[in-house]
Amino acid sequence: MTARTPTDDVRIVLVYSSLLGIYGDRGNAMVLARRLHWRGERARLIAVEPGRVLPDDADLYLLGGGEDAAQVSAANAMRLDGAINRAVDRGAVVLAVCAGYQIAGHRFTDGNGVDHAGLGLLDVVTERSAHRAVGEIASYSDILSGDDGWLTGFENHGGLTRLGASARALGRVHAGIGNGDGTDGAVTGRVLGTYAHGPVLARNPALADHLLELVLGRPLAPVACAEVGQLRAERLAKAGVTEGLRLSA
Amino acid sequence: MPEASLGKERTPLGVRRGSYDDLVQPMATSTPTDVLASEPSAASGRTRFTLAKAAGSLAAQVSRLTGRGSGVSIRGQVILKLDPNALGKSLAGRRVAVVSGTNGKTTTTHLLHAAVLAALDPAASDRVVSNDDGANLAQGLTSTLAMSPDADTALLETDERVVGEVVRLGRPDVVVLLNCSRDQLDRNHEIAALSAGWREAFVAAGVGGPTVVANADDPLVVWAASAARRVLWISTDSRRSLDAGLCPRCGAPLPPADDGVWACSSCGLSQPEPDYVVAAGEIRHGDRRYRPSLRLPGEFNVGNAAFALAAAHVLGVDPDTAIEAMESVQAPAGRFATVRIGDTPATLMLAKNPAGWAETLPLAGTDPVVLAIDSAAADGRDVSWLWDVDYEQLHGRTVIATGPRATDLAVRLTYADVDHVVVPDLESAVSDIGRPVDVVATYTPFQQLRKMSAR
Ligand SMILES: [Zn+2]
Repeated sequence: MTARTPTDDVRIVLVYSSLLGIYGDRGNAMVLARRLHWRGERARLIAVEPGRVLPDDADLYLLGGGEDAAQVSAANAMRLDGAINRAVDRGAVVLAVCAGYQIAGHRFTDGNGVDHAGLGLLDVVTERSAHRAVGEIASYSDILSGDDGWLTGFENHGGLTRLGASARALGRVHAGIGNGDGTDGAVTGRVLGTYAHGPVLARNPALADHLLELVLGRPLAPVACAEVGQLRAERLAKAGVTEGLRLSA
Repeated sequence: MPEASLGKERTPLGVRRGSYDDLVQPMATSTPTDVLASEPSAASGRTRFTLAKAAGSLAAQVSRLTGRGSGVSIRGQVILKLDPNALGKSLAGRRVAVVSGTNGKTTTTHLLHAAVLAALDPAASDRVVSNDDGANLAQGLTSTLAMSPDADTALLETDERVVGEVVRLGRPDVVVLLNCSRDQLDRNHEIAALSAGWREAFVAAGVGGPTVVANADDPLVVWAASAARRVLWISTDSRRSLDAGLCPRCGAPLPPADDGVWACSSCGLSQPEPDYVVAAGEIRHGDRRYRPSLRLPGEFNVGNAAFALAAAHVLGVDPDTAIEAMESVQAPAGRFATVRIGDTPATLMLAKNPAGWAETLPLAGTDPVVLAIDSAAADGRDVSWLWDVDYEQLHGRTVIATGPRATDLAVRLTYADVDHVVVPDLESAVSDIGRPVDVVATYTPFQQLRKMSAR
C-alpha cells in the first residue's frame, strides 16, 4: 500500500493531456476532485505533460484517449519513465480509458498493424478491429451494486481487446461493442480500464466513488445529485436499458 | 506582393478596364482532360453534365415546393449521382479560392466575398459565386456552382475533408487554411490525418498548385501548408491548437509554446515568420497597418479578416478596398445576428467544438446566458467535448441550459459550480426571457433558432 496518511491530499495525476486528452478526458480529474471536495476531503490535481517526469508516489493516475501516433508516443514515454508501474506496485489506483486502456495492457496493435508494448498493468492484449466502434455504450458492472452498476458512456475506438487469466471484465455489454466479446473493460488489482471514453466518471459517479474509496480505504458518504441521476436515466434509456432491465440487473 | 507571381494568366479582379465581357473567362474549354478521360468524348461528357444539372434543378425545386429544404444539398446529390465528374466540371475554367479549417470558414468566406465584390463594377457582381450558406461538402459545392454557370470566380467555403479533392479538380489560385483542431470526433477521429491529406494535395499539385494563406500558429496547418509552392503566413496571436501534441513532421512531443512561439526540439519544425500579424485589433503587413472596424465582435474575427485580406490580395484586390468592404459585413449566415424570438431580442452565436467555444463564450456577456447543446449528426454525436470547454468562466451568472443534451451540460455546470436552470425546449428557453440575451449554440439549435426568428 501507499504510505499515505489519512490527512494527506488525494494526489490525482492527469497523464499527458496533450497526447491522451482528446475526448474531454480531463473531466474525470475534475469529477474526482469535486466529489472529494463535496465530502470535505482534499484533492491535489497534478497534470504532467510528456517530457516531464511522472511522480511515482501519487494515489490515482488517469490515462485518457488519443490518436494513433499520440497513443504510441505516450505508451513509449510512460514505459521509459516507469513511474506508473512503480506506483501501482505500491498500491496506486489507475483509471485507463480508450487508448489509455489499451496502453495499460501488455500490448496493442496500431492502425498500420504494428505491435507496441504497453505497461502490462492489465492482463489484456488489443488487436486491430475491422470496424471502428463508435456510439453509446452501456454495460453492467458487478464491482458496483444495484442500479449503480449500470455504466454508460460513449466509445470510439478501433480495437478488440482479449482478457487474460488474471484480468476480469469491468462489465457485461448491453449496448455497444466494448472489448468485442460481449464484455467491456478490464480490472486487474487496483487498475481499471474501459472503452467508455472521455469523462466517463461524469455519467458514472458510483465508479468515481469506487476509485476514491480504493484510494482512501474507507467508504465515502453518499452525495445526491439529481441532475446526474437524470443524465444516467437519459443515456441508459437511449442505449435501451429500461426500468425493467435495471431492476433485474 | 507582386501580381506577377500569380500562377495563372488571368485578369486580376482589381483592374477595372474594358467591358464585363472582356473580363469573363471562356467556360468549359479548359476542362482538365483527366476529368474527361473516363468518358467516351468531351461532347458526351458535357451532355451528361447538362442533363445532370437539369435533373438536379428539378429535384431542388421539388424540395423547395414541398417545404423540405432550400434544395441546395439535394440538387448537388442528384447531379453527382447522374454525373460523378460533375464537381470537376463545375470548377473547370474558373478562378477558385478555397477557405477551409475547423473554425471561421463561413465568416472568412463572407469577408472574402465582400472584398472581391468591392473590386468589381456592381454590374459585374454575377461574375462571382460563393456558397455563402455554408453547404461545403462536394454536393453543396457542385450545387452552388451549377446555379451560377457564368461566374468566372468561385469563392468556396470547403469542408476540411474535401480540400484535397477541390485542389486536385479545381486547381485553385488560393487556399486559406484557418486552423486544425478537434471537431466531431465521431466522424473525424484522426485530426492529424486531415492535415496530412492537405499536405499530400499540395505536394501533388506541385508548381501549378495554389498560394496557401495559412495559420502560422497552428503546427498541423504549418506542416500541411509548407508543402505548397507559395505560402502567406498569418499569425493571429491565438493560442496554439490544443490538438498538436506531437510534431506533425517527426512525431516528437511538441513542448508548450513559450511566449506564443512554438518549435519542435527534435526536428526543428517551427513557427514560420508571419507575413501578416494580428494583434490588439490591428492587422500588420510589412509597414502597412490596418485597423478594421468590423461589425463582428471578437479578436478572432479580426484574425479571420487578416486571412480574407491576404486571400483577396492574391486575387488582385487592393487592400484598402478589401478592408472597407469587410467592414460592411454583418451576421454572416446568421452568426452574431440579433433576432427576435417571442419577446426576446437574442444575439445568436455558433460554437461547434472546444476551440470555437474558447473563442465565442467570452463574447456572451448577458446574465442569464443561454447555452444550447445538441448531438445530431451535424453537431457530433458525442458530447464529451463539454469537458474541454472552460464553463468555469461563467461563475456568478446564471446559465439557461437547453437543447436535447441540456442535461449533459447541466452536469458539466454542476461540476463547474455555475448556477443554471434546465429548459429542455429551445424556443421557450429563449422566448420566455423577455430581455436581450446572448445565446451560444451548437450547429443544429443555432439553425433552429435562425428559422424560428424568420417565422
Ligand atoms: Zn519535429
